[in-house]
Amino acid sequence: MLQTAFNGLVTGIIVTLPALAVTLLFGVLKFPNFAVGSMMTLAAYLVFALNVQLGWPLVISTAVVAVAFGGLLIAIDYVTFKPLRERGSITLMVASLGLGFVLENIARLAYGNTARSFAIELARPFRFLDIRMNREQMITIVVSTLAMLAMYFLLTRMPIGRAMRAVADNPALALVRGIESPRIIRWTWFIAGMLLAVGGVLIGMDRALEPPMGSSYLVAVFAAAILGGLGSPLGAFIGALVIGIVSELATLVIPPNYRIGIPLCVIALILIFRPQGLFGQPYIRK
Amino acid sequence: MSDILVIKELHAGYGEGDILKGIDITLPAGRVVTIIGPNGSGKSTLLKTLAGLLLARRGDIVLKEQSLRDLSPPRRVRAGLSYVPQEYNIFRNLTVLENLKIAREFMADRKMRGGTAISDELIELFPELPGKFKARAGNLSGGQRQMLAFACALTVHPEVLMLDEPSAGLSPKYMTDIFDTVKKVNARGVSVLMVEQNAIEALRISDTCVVMANGHVRLTALANQVLEMKDLHSLYLGDAKEEAVAS
Ligand SMILES: Nc1ncnc2c1ncn2[C@@H]1O[C@H](COP(=O)(O)OP(=O)(O)O)[C@@H](O)[C@H]1O
Ligand SMILES: [Mg+2]
Repeated sequence: MLQTAFNGLVTGIIVTLPALAVTLLFGVLKFPNFAVGSMMTLAAYLVFALNVQLGWPLVISTAVVAVAFGGLLIAIDYVTFKPLRERGSITLMVASLGLGFVLENIARLAYGNTARSFAIELARPFRFLDIRMNREQMITIVVSTLAMLAMYFLLTRMPIGRAMRAVADNPALALVRGIESPRIIRWTWFIAGMLLAVGGVLIGMDRALEPPMGSSYLVAVFAAAILGGLGSPLGAFIGALVIGIVSELATLVIPPNYRIGIPLCVIALILIFRPQGLFGQPYIRK
Repeated sequence: MSDILVIKELHAGYGEGDILKGIDITLPAGRVVTIIGPNGSGKSTLLKTLAGLLLARRGDIVLKEQSLRDLSPPRRVRAGLSYVPQEYNIFRNLTVLENLKIAREFMADRKMRGGTAISDELIELFPELPGKFKARAGNLSGGQRQMLAFACALTVHPEVLMLDEPSAGLSPKYMTDIFDTVKKVNARGVSVLMVEQNAIEALRISDTCVVMANGHVRLTALANQVLEMKDLHSLYLGDAKEEAVAS
């Protein structure tokens, strides 16, 4: 039971980074970006290229790809979403579905459907308080916690983060308060790109690299972000924990095949009973 | 007296058709110009167009000899034009202090780079705010929100301040406070372009009164002349022109 809960916690926590990205992108751009799954896949394969094909250490490969991927997302935004920005969130959402499809198939085209893995040595699992834990799980917990704290620091203590919250709150007012929103939008994509790249690596370490690796987490990512309250980094983290633990514990009573249904039920319940999520601010349409 | 802001033949609108159909208004440096007129006559649309949120389809906006037409809203702020919208004029999910800070943080290329957002001068004008710095701006009362929005617009040291119905929906106490503050700010050299429904109170602190109706300027007159008009309310009924000629 304790071990199951712990495993759930880690499977859940692994979606913290993409959930943070979703929350940030939704806050600033006001559309659900369904391409985040494939974006993680693509980033994971880029890390694979550096780590396995060029033989760079995983940490360095991840750092390089994270920064480059931030830049890449700015470029992708420029050609896909930016021209559609005035058309409203439905158009942007549909565009993100299309983009996700394209990105996933770019990965498939380059690396095929065979599962691959990063070049890391195996480490023996260790025990802590009667719980068996492996190194990948440790890394996931530490990195996710740090990312959540870093996001919180960014959004509350740094001018660029405050400006993101301002644009999320009221874009027109942000403009007349002197905030160049195109610049803030670029920063948002850059940070989301870093989160998604690292998130992709965590998933690749936990399972294996295959083209659908990122999109298979999409429902859990959105469940976590919506449960936590879109726009709240702490919410994304707690939401990820709750989704993971609940889905894992649910397998004790329902067949594991239906696991995917749990986050969907959570999304439905939240949208019915508390649409702003646990930590979100109610969103008032202007 | 030089004119700090000149609006020439301005046309603007949202969809098809213009809401503003050729507006000419001049704001002399150091003065207060108040725009009154019936609801829907385009007053807010005019201020939005001046702030850059709406495209000027024809005509020009000149601030200190510089055309603002092709400048983005943030650049207009940097040029010295600050604006308090009629509604949604604070960031509700940010604290009061964050609201005040953010207005200046992105002004790096302007002269007031140094110093803090919250000068002694600002606290003197808005004594209620420091006690509320940590509060979420969305939790403030209507009057406090209006004061905060006003204060935010001043943190960038504008040369021209535009206020859209600053006293709307406020209690009489706050209304008096707001107009007093406008007067003090103006006394410090800031030129003011204000839209108001509470015409009498607003015109008492104004130099010039502009009456708008249906996207046109119907009348431009000295504020105290308008105050002396027998039936101020007829100005709102759209036959202001005839009225003015008659008086
Ligand atoms: N965002 C908008 N989209 C379309 N039409 C608008 C919008 N805002 C205002 N209008 C229209 O423009 C006209 C002028 O409105 P407004 O400038 O707000 O008037 P005022 O401030 O003088 O009351 C009105 O007919 C109003 O319906
Ligand atoms: Mg108005």
